Amino acid sequence: MGIVIAVISGKGGVGKTTSTANVGLGIALKNKKCVVVDFDIGQRNLDMILGLENRVVYDMVQVMDGEVSLKQALIKSKMSPNLHFLAASQTKDKSILDSQKILKLVTDLKAEYDFVILDAPAGIESGYEHTIEFADRALVIVNPEVSSIRDADRAIGILDSKSQKVKDGGEVLKYLIINRINPRMVQSGEMLSSEDILDILNIPLIGKIPEDQGIIDASNQGKPVVLDSNSPSGRAYKRVAARLCGEEVALENIESPEKGFMQKMKGIFQ
Amino acid sequence: MFSFFKKKNSAKTAKDRLTIAIVSDRENTNAFPFMDEMKAEIIEVVKKYIGVKAINIQKEVDGDVEALSIDVELETTK
Repeated sequence: MGIVIAVISGKGGVGKTTSTANVGLGIALKNKKCVVVDFDIGQRNLDMILGLENRVVYDMVQVMDGEVSLKQALIKSKMSPNLHFLAASQTKDKSILDSQKILKLVTDLKAEYDFVILDAPAGIESGYEHTIEFADRALVIVNPEVSSIRDADRAIGILDSKSQKVKDGGEVLKYLIINRINPRMVQSGEMLSSEDILDILNIPLIGKIPEDQGIIDASNQGKPVVLDSNSPSGRAYKRVAARLCGEEVALENIESPEKGFMQKMKGIFQ
Repeated sequence: MFSFFKKKNSAKTAKDRLTIAIVSDRENTNAFPFMDEMKAEIIEVVKKYIGVKAINIQKEVDGDVEALSIDVELETTK
């Protein structure tokens, strides 16, 4: 039986959907069966990032309401036969979600896939609570920036009190992805370092993604950066996927912790 | 004395501000998943003796001392 991973952030616009697409595709490229589900009802976006917007016929709300079968609604990715996608409803609103129906959907998906990845909506409202309700684990996406980190902490707090696993006396394992790291700014002390962020949030780090203009280009084309081995962020996502699959991959030091004189000299000659 | 080499370090400021903001956020949230049930039970108990309109429970932290302050709003008797 597969594991359910909710991708959460609290704040919007930090790269949640991009991370869902890249981690999901990265896992599929590792020959694991993976399904990504867009839980952002009313603001469907994962389809665009995956380049599958023209293939959406049915959405997850129709599946939950029993109007169509799961098989009818699942869309196979063009980039990997191991990756499937289930679209959010674009016309209904969040109030449509119902715990029992979500539990059934998630259970059905778990039976078929190794990884079930749920892209949560931004915010900490009911749509978010429903996404984390039956999660086994959570990927927390932050940017090295105060409002993102603060909002992530709130989202983690809700996860730790409202998920079914916690209510049953268990724990939802959380992993941190720090997205949009600007190494130069970290070195000059103008951006929070990953150590700073870990001190504050106190959950294990699973990935450091450098700021990368290629992300926009990738979303323009609907081809996640994880496919591009020349892309620094793509390689970082690949490593996250490997870690989630249980491989031991050392965290790459993309920020360079040295702030000494030599570092500055090196900077001059670069 | 190394101020010549020292660039502006706003990351440090960010960390300090965040640390304080998050501590206060965590204190203010309903840190108890059982809060709603507790409220309902307290209302039931008080109701046995007197009419209750609403109840408000807050966690207060003052240094090392943590306390729950419970406000019970009674039904107006006219």
